Amino acid sequence: MLVDILPQGLKDFLGQDLVFWLGYISNGKHLNWYASVQYTLAAMVLGAAIALVVGLVAAAARSNGPLPLRWFAAAYINIVRGVPDVLFFLFFPLAFEQAVEWVYSFQVCTPETLALNAGRWPPCDAANISFSSFGYLILASVSLGLVYGAFVASVIAGALRAVPAGQLEAARAYGMTRMQVLRRVHIRQMWVYALPGIANVWMSIVKATSLLSLLQILDFVAWAQRLGAANFSRAAGLVHDDWRWRYYFVLLVFYILVTFVSEKIFGAIGRRLRRGMPLAEQNAT
Amino acid sequence: MNRLILAAAALAALTLGAQAQSYKIATEGSYPPYNFTDDSGKLGGYDVDVGTEMCKRAGVECSFIVNDWDSIIPNLLAGNYDAIMDDMSITDERKKTIAFTDPYFPPDPSTFLTLADKKVDYANIKGMKLGAQKATIQANYLESNLKDGNTILTYDTQDQEMADLNAGNLDIIFLDGSVVGEAVSASGGKLKADGPEILIGDGVGVGMRQTDTELTKKFNTALQSMKDDGTLDGLITKYFPDKKGGPFYKK
Repeated sequence: MLVDILPQGLKDFLGQDLVFWLGYISNGKHLNWYASVQYTLAAMVLGAAIALVVGLVAAAARSNGPLPLRWFAAAYINIVRGVPDVLFFLFFPLAFEQAVEWVYSFQVCTPETLALNAGRWPPCDAANISFSSFGYLILASVSLGLVYGAFVASVIAGALRAVPAGQLEAARAYGMTRMQVLRRVHIRQMWVYALPGIANVWMSIVKATSLLSLLQILDFVAWAQRLGAANFSRAAGLVHDDWRWRYYFVLLVFYILVTFVSEKIFGAIGRRLRRGMPLAEQNAT
Repeated sequence: MNRLILAAAALAALTLGAQAQSYKIATEGSYPPYNFTDDSGKLGGYDVDVGTEMCKRAGVECSFIVNDWDSIIPNLLAGNYDAIMDDMSITDERKKTIAFTDPYFPPDPSTFLTLADKKVDYANIKGMKLGAQKATIQANYLESNLKDGNTILTYDTQDQEMADLNAGNLDIIFLDGSVVGEAVSASGGKLKADGPEILIGDGVGVGMRQTDTELTKKFNTALQSMKDDGTLDGLITKYFPDKKGGPFYKK
């Protein structure tokens, strides 16, 4: 155990009880718990990155794209925003897995094996695909990205409209093409207006990562549940009562810390983006 | 002659390949003493020890993975792993969807767990809140025998029903007799095993896909050798010191 490396003098100073509890919260299962933060953090970052890209593309497509693409983007934004994230989280990975299996079955199934599995899923045993926890983590991040991408899209669409029309007209007057105006002037200036909304969506993504355990990913939340569960078996280690609220409390503190730090970071980014933009600075104050 | 050697080599390579094949066994990891995650973070318990030894004797490589109890059969059928070892009782109903190896734990009477100061007339249970773990033989039993006049609550994991019993949200829990002993002794006199013992199920087996008959046979042979030389009895006394009536399998 990790406490064994503490010098004896320090152990005497701390006292037996404290050393025991230090040892307990640094034993193997607690280390697993701390390590599982990586899944939560990975889902946050990956989910947010996908949401940003999806949102940007959808917003640009809705305001500037050709007609069918505009319809598609509008439909995506309106439909996905109305779906609870928990449902999409359950629906998307499963639907994706079965869709892959369905496509795969055309290559690997023979009529005999298809008949053997008739009425059951997968279509034949050879077409079965099982994702690892890592695969589910990616799928979970994509789900987050797709759900919150719709929110990012509407934030960005609003921000695109907030850019003063004079800026765009001036760019057109310089002879820039539609795409050049969009890339060089419109999107560049849009960020200032979009940032507060994007910060809000980020907070929602952070909180939604607590759903990872629904996909059987042993994340921060799932481990807390396990460690807090009452243990009455000596073979399994320290016998204790239901300690779940203590572990859930640590989760609360963790999420508050993450959102607190994010707020600071978004504040700093906002101040930096507004530099040299007199209009936006006026709006912000 | 050359062709014969080549064929023999190919056959040897094939069987070697088959031997090195690795199987995944699913367990819940929160049903002590059958399976649990110990303080060092590793899976342990009766199911895990039996499974490890069984695979060694069957000459296959196995690893244990964690899966929730209520989705453990669907995920076996979907092929996410190859076997279930999670104190799963062999019942006719389960045999419709999956296959079982021979039992590796003798039929275990289920019993009731309640607060020590509680008086219950077990011949006539009425107006009680009864708890069991979801999709277990005990939950089935409560549903079909004690539904009238009682409220039946089912839980994802065993520790949740224990927490509710301790908190007074439940009157009685119905569960495996082999689990009760430690729960009572760890409660420090707060809980007691109570009422009649009811025998349901035909012992505990390894859950297998019905199509994997070869692997099932291999596991059966391995389990039989563990029964014959007393290994299985040793593990039973190790994890269930209260269990009476041994030797269970040794001849």
